[in-house]
Amino acid sequence: MEAVAFAWLSAGLGVGVTVFGVGTGIGRLAAAALEASSRQPENAGDIRTTMIIGAALIEGVALLAGVICILLAVKS
Amino acid sequence: MSNTANAHSDSLQHAEQTHGADGHTNPEGSEVFTTLLNSLGDHHELNIFFGHYKILPVMLVDDGFHVYPNIDAMEQAGVFTMHHPEHEHHIVRTSTGASPKLDLSVTNFVAYEFIAILIATIVFGIARGGYIKNALQAPKGLQNVVESLVLYVRDEIVRPNVGTEARAHRLMPYILGIFFFVLTLNLVGLMPGCHAATGALGVTAALALTTFIVVNFVAIKDAGIKSWLHHLLGGAPWYMFPIMVPIELISLFTKPFALMIRLFANMTAGHIVLLSLVGLIFFFKSWMVTPVSVAFSVFIYLLELLVAFLQAYIFAMLASVFVGLALGDHAHDDHHGDAHAH
Repeated sequence: MEAVAFAWLSAGLGVGVTVFGVGTGIGRLAAAALEASSRQPENAGDIRTTMIIGAALIEGVALLAGVICILLAVKS
Repeated sequence: MSNTANAHSDSLQHAEQTHGADGHTNPEGSEVFTTLLNSLGDHHELNIFFGHYKILPVMLVDDGFHVYPNIDAMEQAGVFTMHHPEHEHHIVRTSTGASPKLDLSVTNFVAYEFIAILIATIVFGIARGGYIKNALQAPKGLQNVVESLVLYVRDEIVRPNVGTEARAHRLMPYILGIFFFVLTLNLVGLMPGCHAATGALGVTAALALTTFIVVNFVAIKDAGIKSWLHHLLGGAPWYMFPIMVPIELISLFTKPFALMIRLFANMTAGHIVLLSLVGLIFFFKSWMVTPVSVAFSVFIYLLELLVAFLQAYIFAMLASVFVGLALGDHAHDDHHGDAHAH
């Protein structure tokens, strides 16, 4: 029963750490993109596209971590 | 029969009942969670608009090829049977209890893929009819929606990323196919009582595999095998190859792998959140939770609508970005040509 408890604990903590990192990353990305497009409004479209690609790549790493957390929670 | 086939149909009540009877092995939260995950999984019967129809053929490869018109016929034939340990369910051989070597059945998700293909074909057929009937006129209605989406994919996704105009023209059918297939599957999955086939790893793995093939095929065909091999060095000097080649080979496979996980996890995560919010009502067994639960569900549902479009966009976008990356400097050949000509 203790192993199960630790698995649930690690899954919860893992999601928390993941969300913290990804939130920081996407937050910085969005802030930089917003600043860039307010300086150069004529390039806003390009900047948005690049931002979405970057956000998708960050999110991909986060989802890998999320899948591992789900596996921890389900296998317990 | 009702016990084996409808094990997941009234899943939440079922979970409550088993918990009341003998549910001391699992905590209640785990029970509800497992039931939710199970209802998101694949089944050998068509679940559409809250109905369960046993009309899907079962095809198994073990010692020879076994085909049955539906899951009931398989049970009656007696060679294979449905096995239900805990909350899982899978087909096993009745005599030995072993799984068949290969299960090629048309499952619930495969049926949804056929439905999505049918919907997309009808929509594009109507749009095509518009172009034949009102040639050289402004499009209207459904034709207008399709045209604006197609033009968006061409001008914002494919053209800026793959380099030359000829290559963009060649890649358009593939990227458009990916975009509308994923979009239709996602949107069908959002209809009440339907399932999102993109929430299954097998479906997204197949989509990512086509991307892997297209990206490398275009890179080898357009830039040459020599350039493709040179790309494995990642721009480092040749004596770095013991380090660079393994890294670049891994990155070759990581890109489609990330595509697969991203689409799967995004669609599954949204559905788990939705089902968990509805599951709160069953968990607390109180009507006080209902307004909160429903309000949050509606919010998440609208977010899911955005995610359905966004994931289709990102899949198509990253597929064309990967084509551009695989080509490297060759992606902009014609621009160099223009510069020299001037």
